[in-house]
Amino acid sequence: MSAEVSPGTDALAAAGQTRGIFPAELLDRCISCGFCLPACPTYAQSLDEASSPRGRITLMRALETGVLDDDDATLREQASYCLGCRACEPVCPAGVQYGELLEHWRSHQWQGRRRPPLARVLTNVVVRNWLVRRLGLFSRHARTATAAPQGPHLMLGCFERALFPAVSRAARRLRPELDAPGDQGCCGALHAHNGDLELGRELGRRLGEQLPGTIVTTAGGCAAHLASVLGRDRVKEFSEYAAADPATALGELRVDGRRARVALQDSCHLRNGMDVWREPRELIAAVADYVELPGAAQCCGSAGSYSLLRPRDSRRVLAPKLDQIEAAGVDYVVAVNPGCQRQLVGGLRRRRSRVRVLHLTELLAAAQDGGLPRRRLRLGLRSGRRAEVPADEPAGTAAHLNDRPLPDDPGAAAAGRPDALDGSAGPDDIR
Amino acid sequence: MALDPGVLAELGSIVGREHVRSGAGEVAPYARDATPLFSSPPDAVVFPARTAEVAAVLRLATAHRIPVVPRGAGSNLCAATVPLQGGILLVLTRMDRVLEISNEELLVRAEPGATTATVADAAAAKGLLFAPDPGSRTVSTVGGNVATCAGGLRGLKYGVTRNYVLGLEVVLPTGEVIRTGGRLWKDVAGYDLTRLMTGSEGTLGVITEVTLALLPMPATASTGVAYFSSLADAGRAVTAILGHGVVPATLEFLDRTCIGAVEDYAKLGLRSDAGALLLFGDDGEADAVERNLTRMGELCADEGALEVTVAKEVAQSEALLAARRCALPALSRLDTLTVLEDVTVPRPRLAEMVDRIDDVAARHDLVIGTFGHAGDGNLHPTAVVDVRDTEAAERTHAAFAEIFTAAIGMDGTITGEHGVGAAKLPYLRQRLGDDQMALTRRIKTAFDPAGILNPGKVGS
Repeated sequence: MSAEVSPGTDALAAAGQTRGIFPAELLDRCISCGFCLPACPTYAQSLDEASSPRGRITLMRALETGVLDDDDATLREQASYCLGCRACEPVCPAGVQYGELLEHWRSHQWQGRRRPPLARVLTNVVVRNWLVRRLGLFSRHARTATAAPQGPHLMLGCFERALFPAVSRAARRLRPELDAPGDQGCCGALHAHNGDLELGRELGRRLGEQLPGTIVTTAGGCAAHLASVLGRDRVKEFSEYAAADPATALGELRVDGRRARVALQDSCHLRNGMDVWREPRELIAAVADYVELPGAAQCCGSAGSYSLLRPRDSRRVLAPKLDQIEAAGVDYVVAVNPGCQRQLVGGLRRRRSRVRVLHLTELLAAAQDGGLPRRRLRLGLRSGRRAEVPADEPAGTAAHLNDRPLPDDPGAAAAGRPDALDGSAGPDDIR
Repeated sequence: MALDPGVLAELGSIVGREHVRSGAGEVAPYARDATPLFSSPPDAVVFPARTAEVAAVLRLATAHRIPVVPRGAGSNLCAATVPLQGGILLVLTRMDRVLEISNEELLVRAEPGATTATVADAAAAKGLLFAPDPGSRTVSTVGGNVATCAGGLRGLKYGVTRNYVLGLEVVLPTGEVIRTGGRLWKDVAGYDLTRLMTGSEGTLGVITEVTLALLPMPATASTGVAYFSSLADAGRAVTAILGHGVVPATLEFLDRTCIGAVEDYAKLGLRSDAGALLLFGDDGEADAVERNLTRMGELCADEGALEVTVAKEVAQSEALLAARRCALPALSRLDTLTVLEDVTVPRPRLAEMVDRIDDVAARHDLVIGTFGHAGDGNLHPTAVVDVRDTEAAERTHAAFAEIFTAAIGMDGTITGEHGVGAAKLPYLRQRLGDDQMALTRRIKTAFDPAGILNPGKVGS
């Protein structure tokens, strides 16, 4: 404390010269101690204060007090470079709600022309129920005709129902009491994270009305957003829901006559936003040998739309994780969020890894069934063809849908070229 | 005052253009460190990767009379790295290698940007202990630790950073590279420039390599906790412990305000009816540790402890230490502006000082929680106020001025381990006196004739 207080953001804030972009009580929380720095994946890459949570909060304060204007290049870059993984929150001694600050930041920063066009497209697609339904039209995701008034309801997700329809089928097979009305909409997490916090919350509330009572979701990112809108007690992520009632016989997953070795990739928002991380581990350990990856809790670089908006940075975050997965000698790596699942499938496929990616529900359903079908021989066969799912195939065994090339995955097109196989060796990956 | 484009270009040619930032948004995050209320952006942020680059930057800066402020992770609590006069902020985080760990010589050599935890972990992997243990160890850099002579939770038994600095490589503001000390535990050739650099807060030279002493890793460690109805009782227990020849590795206290805040925050099951909490701990051979902990527990009970518990296992020990480590964050949650101070008094006057702080807080109508290192007499009175309440900030200012004066009156000091920086410079003369202040300035001028290094701080 000193008489020589310089006129910085604190002083301006103290004088009330603020723009009202951020709720003051959120921005005031940060004491700039820097404890978040070692937890931040983008700071680890850049070693630049500007791409650390503390530095970004200083930037937000500069925006709030008018020290920097909306068009400042660093503000724009950092609002987008941040993964939004919220790894800074559990390590924050002062309890800064960084994820919410980021949502406010992007909602301001990404207005109008400043919004990344791809983010606009993505969020526009899922804003209407009929379009969300259409996403799932050709996929065989779970659906039930009726909904019990108080649930528990299975949330189908928007992109999840199209990309990984087997996940909701597996969830329903494991927990038949879950109803899954097909006309449910998007939860709004995508909007909240991509510069439209208000619409994100509105969609969350709307989904809450469509699915009254308890909502069970297989997507960690959706769970955290819904919980922030509807209240923590109304939202259960699947592992949390399943672990709370261990009555079900789980079975065992075996590979080559031994118990399968299975690793987990945490969902950032599930872990950092909802403190759910023990449950998926316990469930995996019940059916297989659980292997903890050294960086299981760190972001895989999917980060919602991030892998599409900033593919290079996304791969740089992913590369060390792929190394860890391959070094761990596991049969499967489990995801608890569709974005992570998609990211890992793409990354491991580019490396022609033998490790397969499953959603937790798929793993558990397979254990109940007594195993997964043998992996198809894929080498040389991977054109853009869509995998056919036999009509009588049990839900839990549809995991090879993971192998379906995704149209926006550049690694899929490059597969077969030896020099393109190792995702860690590209020029993007060198710091 | 923006830098001349020619200077920026030269900086770029020294460290590489991508390692020079000068845009308004690029420099804005570097306007502050972990000190509240101090904020002033540099004109450029420069990230050197080698000693030669540091030297070239400093020569350029001296030639053009541009202020240079060296910075590690910016976790200091005295605004030592806030560039009050703009200029170049020299960030050393790219120089982050651990160069060597020697079991034979019990030392580690590292670049300044390596974090304290990185160095300590690298040493631990070889069965060695880097003893200084500042609270920000996962963030702080060893260069910053040396530049601020960082303290920590193990100060009583193990000392502070200065006790572990064997040698330094330093770039002087005029560009010369000197190596002070070295790998030797005994070396009295000339002035002890290594010690002079330690705690110089980036005002005399830029540290580009450190050689630090290590110790064999203690076999085991354990912690206990005692609750007292008042801090005076806890203070007597501290005196009794040290008077009985026990020099514990840990002897930390929390006052009533802190206990309540920590319990609300971390739910560790602390007794919130107690007036003071004393954490005591030791490390070493298992039987010695057990003996010392039992003895300390008994001495606490003799001095009227309400309750004494000794941790049964490592996890429990860790939880107890966590209570102390989270004191500051827990307090900071009480309001939006947290002003943490660092006065230190002779050990026997600890309880007296805490009483004075409570008295000052009451008279100025402030919430001040006090925690700290009982074994070192090092207190951290922490005021929490509303950042928008300018009148409360004024009261805080006045209260701490009184607290500093009280500490000096007890043969204490204005800062035990955080440093002077910009935050406590106004009180430095009170502590050092005119003659030492004048000498400090002459020393500064001898190192830095152009006055470019961290101007507006110690020695300016």
